[in-house]
Amino acid sequence: MTGRAIEEGPRRRPRLRAGRGFLIVPPVVIVLAVMVAPIVLIALYSVDVKTNLPFTPTKFTWSMWKDFLPPSEGKFPNPFWHRFEVSMVITVVVSLVAVAAAYPLAYFLAFGARRSRYTLLLLMLAPFFTSYLLRVIAWKIMLSNNGVINTAIWDLHLRSHGDGVPWLIYSKFSVGLVLFYSWVPFVAVPIFVLLDRLDTHLLEAAQDLGAGRLTTFFRVTLPLSLPGVIAGFVFVLIPTTGEFITPLLVGGPGSQMFGNSIQSFFQDTPNWNYGAVLALWLVAVVFVMLLVFGRFLATDLREANS
Amino acid sequence: MGAAGLGGAVLLGGCGSSNSGGSPAASSVKRPSIAKEPGNLSILEWDGYQAFGTPTNKKAGGLSAGEDYTKKFGADGITYSLIVNDSEALNKVRSGQQFDVIHPCIENLQDYVQDGLVQPWDTKLLPSFANLNPALVKGGQVNGQQYFIPWDWGYGSVIYRTDKVDPADATGWELFWNPKYKGRISMWNGNTTNFEIAALKLGYGGHAMDHLSDDQLTNAKNALIEQYPLNKFLWSSEYTDLQPALQNGDVWIAYSWQDQWVYAKSKGIPMAYMKPSQGRLGWYCGFMLGKDTKNYYHAHDYVESYINHKSCLSLTNYFYYGSADATIKPSEIQNKAVAKSLDIGNPNVLSSADVHLQSWEPNEAAVQQAWEEVTASA
Repeated sequence: MTGRAIEEGPRRRPRLRAGRGFLIVPPVVIVLAVMVAPIVLIALYSVDVKTNLPFTPTKFTWSMWKDFLPPSEGKFPNPFWHRFEVSMVITVVVSLVAVAAAYPLAYFLAFGARRSRYTLLLLMLAPFFTSYLLRVIAWKIMLSNNGVINTAIWDLHLRSHGDGVPWLIYSKFSVGLVLFYSWVPFVAVPIFVLLDRLDTHLLEAAQDLGAGRLTTFFRVTLPLSLPGVIAGFVFVLIPTTGEFITPLLVGGPGSQMFGNSIQSFFQDTPNWNYGAVLALWLVAVVFVMLLVFGRFLATDLREANS
Repeated sequence: MGAAGLGGAVLLGGCGSSNSGGSPAASSVKRPSIAKEPGNLSILEWDGYQAFGTPTNKKAGGLSAGEDYTKKFGADGITYSLIVNDSEALNKVRSGQQFDVIHPCIENLQDYVQDGLVQPWDTKLLPSFANLNPALVKGGQVNGQQYFIPWDWGYGSVIYRTDKVDPADATGWELFWNPKYKGRISMWNGNTTNFEIAALKLGYGGHAMDHLSDDQLTNAKNALIEQYPLNKFLWSSEYTDLQPALQNGDVWIAYSWQDQWVYAKSKGIPMAYMKPSQGRLGWYCGFMLGKDTKNYYHAHDYVESYINHKSCLSLTNYFYYGSADATIKPSEIQNKAVAKSLDIGNPNVLSSADVHLQSWEPNEAAVQQAWEEVTASA
């Protein structure tokens, strides 16, 4: 800069700096290997490009998809499509009821139990750190013919001894009840998070402007907590869509879900190709749910944060 | 493979050394000695058949099969994968999971062999092989090679509460279809077995039972669709599903093997094991050797510890299943009344007119698909 010759030191090798793109490679590889590749594999099974049967020729065909999706070729309604419909009804009902039950719980934690809310939240979640299977089996013991509930009913002389309530177990009721019980605490968490960070000055302002408690709730609290409600709804909707363990343990005829058909095809039949059709359909349904609710959640979160 | 496979000379008493089926091909292959084998056996097995000394079978008075193996090699090296039906077993092996010993029933023998999933046993390594019933042994041969070592046999029938079910209703397989007992019935989630039951109810006995034509298959499917809503649930495991339901009174009528009748008796539950007018189902199961086993000699020792006389007798006295050991005498069986009523000292009964042996089905895949449609119908 002053015209003085700049003394040149020993040449240094330029430092190689990894760009942000380089760091993303490992997770992308994991996602591709663990998530995308299995779905591609299942897709190949669903069109009979791959088979699990030794020495069996394969040939690309859409026939199994045409058989499953309405209008089903040859027979309508396809029994597995019917099971999918029943399964979705159970899923949506359980999800709505879980959200409806979780909201008051979250509201109490956020506004009723202010100082001890985190302790109570932990106590609420504690049983769910145990094995899911053990909790379902515990329900089996409670709901069965000689179980806690029927025994209490007999002791109260509401039914004659030995004559249990028939729909208490191995029914849509028992499946719905166990699913509801399993998910309520987890649905409550996202709702609680949003309610907990709600600016209470807004509630005070609403009341100052003449709004009653109910109006404040419906016009201020509920809309602001809606992202949490939707997140909670999605939390239970998506895993319940593919549920099969609970119906297997406490369900009976008429209360098996779509996941049971998928599990059964892969476990008990050689027809993995048809099972792959059902499995891939479920993946597609869940993907669409994520797209729909994801867009809705993103919009709501932007509005909540603005 | 059918009842005819058991017909002919059946030796009951005495030791016969007429059992052949040793496979020259098997013994000519060079293998590492037993000391050089890894020794960690992976067994595909039904729950309840774990070897004595393993974690779920340590109580005295239980099944003592496998004791000689665990005493010699220890129990730690044995891993069990459990199955609830034969379809699951075949699927697991077809999926590429590696097992040293597999314990399926006879009806899928052809599938295992044709798919190249198993290899023949070297019967010279099984000292107790000579004691096994020749007809059952012959049923386990394919192209003169012994792929299947028979061990256990028994019946499938209807078990029902004698204090809840009208005796006039309990005459045959049609009891499962009786709407009077809706919500008190539990069939087994055993796909092809339920089609065999429907076939017998519809009058497709004998050879037809496992060789249903398309029309017969449709009729059987429709019959099962009619029956399915009458079930309380379908049981998969007799221990975790069926036994609690029998004990607590959820279920009065069920499909079962005879061990559940013995269990119910031991718990004081008044149950009978039906002899349906159409005949009972019959089955026999045994051991197969994994194609790629690295524990060739350990596997033989393991199976020998199951087919020796002491273990076969334990099988009969514990489960009241028959065993393939032809040297068991009626005087050795503890509960003689039960043994007599089940005729378990007599594997001849599997080829009698009133027992329908569950056998290979050429259209098994179609039957299994139809069963999925049945369970999806409600």
